[in-house]
Amino acid sequence: MYGSLDISTSGMIANRTRLEAISANIAGSDTILNQDGQYEPFRRRIVTLAAGDPSGNSDQGVHVASIDLDNGPPMMKYEPDSAFANADGYVGYPNIDIVTEQMNAMEAQRSYEANITAAEATKSMMSVALQLLA
Amino acid sequence: MIDGVTNADAIPALERLMQFAGQRHRLIVNNIANLSTPNFQPSDVSISDFQQQLGQAIDQRRAQYGASDGGLALASTDQVEVSEQGMTLHPQPVGNNILFHDGNDRNVERTMQSLVENFMTYRTAAQFLRNRFDLINTAIRERV
Repeated sequence: MYGSLDISTSGMIANRTRLEAISANIAGSDTILNQDGQYEPFRRRIVTLAAGDPSGNSDQGVHVASIDLDNGPPMMKYEPDSAFANADGYVGYPNIDIVTEQMNAMEAQRSYEANITAAEATKSMMSVALQLLA
Repeated sequence: MIDGVTNADAIPALERLMQFAGQRHRLIVNNIANLSTPNFQPSDVSISDFQQQLGQAIDQRRAQYGASDGGLALASTDQVEVSEQGMTLHPQPVGNNILFHDGNDRNVERTMQSLVENFMTYRTAAQFLRNRFDLINTAIRERV
């Protein structure tokens, strides 16, 4: 039973990171300029989870293995008057689908709540064991 | 000398049950943390095997020492490794659900059910153990 709270906490941290990446994707779904003002469509962040917890030196739990950028083609919109249009008059926008991001956010939230339930069960078990003494 | 008191009636079996449920809780919590991890296989130990081993050990103790004396000699299996002080679990992949597209064959409902049942088992064993210790306490104090 020892270390169970570490495992649940690692699950909560990983799912919160997922939710933050999803929030970044939703916020940047129309962004075509980077922070220097140059034309660079926002690329979707993809979070990959893996088992194990390197920060706690344990093979139990979960952690974020990598946050990758999406390599897919941008979504082209026909705007011939834009300063960033290409030769055919199209401007590339981020290919972020709000519905996909919302579904991923729901799953991340449910995983987060499942980890909270597991942590509550761990707390109850520890208090039950302590009652043996008192 | 103290063995006669701490090995009385159900105390050894309840201790082993609490150890098992406490170790199994870690496995189940790990499965819950990895609900969304790609290519992860939820793992668990077999409860029926452990119940069988515990039942055999209790019967053996009863045959050897009588109804309420003596230590419990719990045998190790390949999934439950028993030592003097505790036990170590070696879980196997469960694999009783469809394989999702991310390579994970999670079963959320069964995992949550295992969490609750394991917790209830732990709490029941702890309360019975508390009851036994209170009885010993009463005998020591010589007052009811």
